[in-house]
Amino acid sequence: MTTSNRAHTIVLVEDESELANEIRIELERLGHLVRTASITEAADAARVGDAALLIMDRMVFGEDSLSTLEILRKESVKVPVLVISALSSIDERVRGLRAGGDDYLAKPFAMVELAARVEALLRRLEDVRTTKLRAGDLEMDLIEQTVYRGGIRIDLLPREFKLLEYFLRHQGRVITRAMLLQDVWQYNFSIETNVVDVHISNLRKKIDVRGVPSLIVNIRGAGFMLNANA
Amino acid sequence: MPEFFRSAAVRLALAFVLVTTVATTAVFGLVYLQIREANEKRNRLILEDEAAKSADRSIDELRNAFEVRLTHDLRRIDYAALFGPDHKVMFGNIDVLPAIALDGKAHFMAASPVGGGDDRLEPAIFVARLRPDGNVMVLGRSLLESLAFRRIVQNALAAGLAPMLLLALAIGAFFARRASQRLTAIHDTIAQIMKGDTHLRLPLRSGNDAIDKISQDVNLMLDEIVRLLVQIKGVGDNIAHDLRSPLAVVHAQLERGLEKSNDEQLRAVVKQALAHIDRAMVTVAALLRLADIEYGPKSSKFAAIDLSAICTDLFEFFEPLATSKSIRMTLEVQSPVQILGDADLMREAVSNLIGNAIKFTPENGAVNVSVAQEDGRPVIRVRDNGIGVEPAERDKIFQRFYRTESGHRVPGSGLGLSIAAAIANLHDFDLRFEDNDPGAVFEMVGRRK
Repeated sequence: MTTSNRAHTIVLVEDESELANEIRIELERLGHLVRTASITEAADAARVGDAALLIMDRMVFGEDSLSTLEILRKESVKVPVLVISALSSIDERVRGLRAGGDDYLAKPFAMVELAARVEALLRRLEDVRTTKLRAGDLEMDLIEQTVYRGGIRIDLLPREFKLLEYFLRHQGRVITRAMLLQDVWQYNFSIETNVVDVHISNLRKKIDVRGVPSLIVNIRGAGFMLNANA
Repeated sequence: MPEFFRSAAVRLALAFVLVTTVATTAVFGLVYLQIREANEKRNRLILEDEAAKSADRSIDELRNAFEVRLTHDLRRIDYAALFGPDHKVMFGNIDVLPAIALDGKAHFMAASPVGGGDDRLEPAIFVARLRPDGNVMVLGRSLLESLAFRRIVQNALAAGLAPMLLLALAIGAFFARRASQRLTAIHDTIAQIMKGDTHLRLPLRSGNDAIDKISQDVNLMLDEIVRLLVQIKGVGDNIAHDLRSPLAVVHAQLERGLEKSNDEQLRAVVKQALAHIDRAMVTVAALLRLADIEYGPKSSKFAAIDLSAICTDLFEFFEPLATSKSIRMTLEVQSPVQILGDADLMREAVSNLIGNAIKFTPENGAVNVSVAQEDGRPVIRVRDNGIGVEPAERDKIFQRFYRTESGHRVPGSGLGLSIAAAIANLHDFDLRFEDNDPGAVFEMVGRRK
């Protein structure tokens, strides 16, 4: 394994071996390198820059991994961390994020959900400061709060604007409904209706151009994706 | 008031009053009878003695003696008369010879005619004695004195009894009131416990009386019931807990299989299986969520939150969904309604209510969300004119997993209302169902502190 490879390795801390195995298979299928490790091993890998991302179960072998995470953050180790946990309460989520986790996923989750979060975390640092987002002939000005498609101004409600911005920031990546609820609406709970789909469909109606495939496509069983080249 | 009389303590007090009355009356009665008896006996002896002594006197002597006797009798209780052999009165104050034996013994007459022109009838004792000269001498004494004495005793009884009765009643009422207040407190607590506040216990006085002892026993029973409940729920939660990883693994494996397989038949089966596992995962997640809310440590995020803002935000979130079903959705929000709570949880609870309302309202229906302060209590109301809830099902809709007959066709975990109710409870709110005829109203009302 070369050094550059190692830096792109996702280090997985999960004591349920079957689940760890499935996570590894899923992420490898998407082209990532995955290594399972103990908490200490994962922390060491993070310290020396051998990990592109840590996926940590909250409780591993009876140990709370959040304390290790807190120590890492105190040492200014900046590796992105996805905390997965058996505990679903919002308090737990807040605790996980406060300890330095970048995202929090409660069990049980579908692999697409995990994969989508991993993708989002791996490319998170890109274009945070940009003032303009583009996808094909769609252009969003974050300062002016305007959206143009093919030079034509599109009026969006504030929430629609945020929704589109989220898609533009995560182009070409699978976005799950849970991610949208969490990041666009700040709803940290599941909603048993297809209300998110309705919002997407309303957004599509506004930004799509007749005769051209929709910018936002449905990914079956997973969620949505904004794809400029589609 | 009838409830007041049904209380055991009141009945006990009344019985106490009754017994006291009877006993006192009996004592007074006995004393009265004894005194009357003695008095009558003395009168009889005097009369008989006088009659015997006067037997030998001449008629003139008698006339004088009678005159003196009757003149001195200012109270008009003495009778004396001499009747001829033909039983006609010769002198004295008796008109007609009493119908008694002429044996010189005292006889009681309950109603004797009184002379002197009066038509009075009164109880009296008479002695009639046949004199050697054939005349009949009658001496008598009215028992009016006894009657007066009886009245005095009665009055004394009444005067003594009335305050005693009042006192007994007051004491009884005091204890009944105290007992009924305690019982009411116990009753209210039990009602609240049955509503689900299983952490509540019956109130105890410092005293160690019977009610306290029973309350202590009931509290011990409640502790045990709660322990068992937690254990049972814990079993369910543990099952849910243990199912998470296998479900996630099976889900992942099926997805992987789906991707690799080109066999359409197999793919169809796997897709179905995935849909079922998705549902199981939703249920397991909801179940664990419910356990977190019910038994997790009370949220540390309690802060001042505005229910109006939360509902406005959710209204905007759900409105497009309603519109897509041609449901008219309206919002009534007054000024901010501040409570102490966890905004995330409140949002979750209200989102379950609004989601349900839209789910169970047919096209062209209406859903209304309102937030208000009523009687100083915060109220969130989600009203729809959809299919509503059958009367028979109204008690059950807040139970875990309960799905109404009509609701079975609509997807969902069946835990949404349970979660909303648990969140409401955590915030000292009650989640209630009201009939909207047609449709349903779910209201979350802050409990009075």
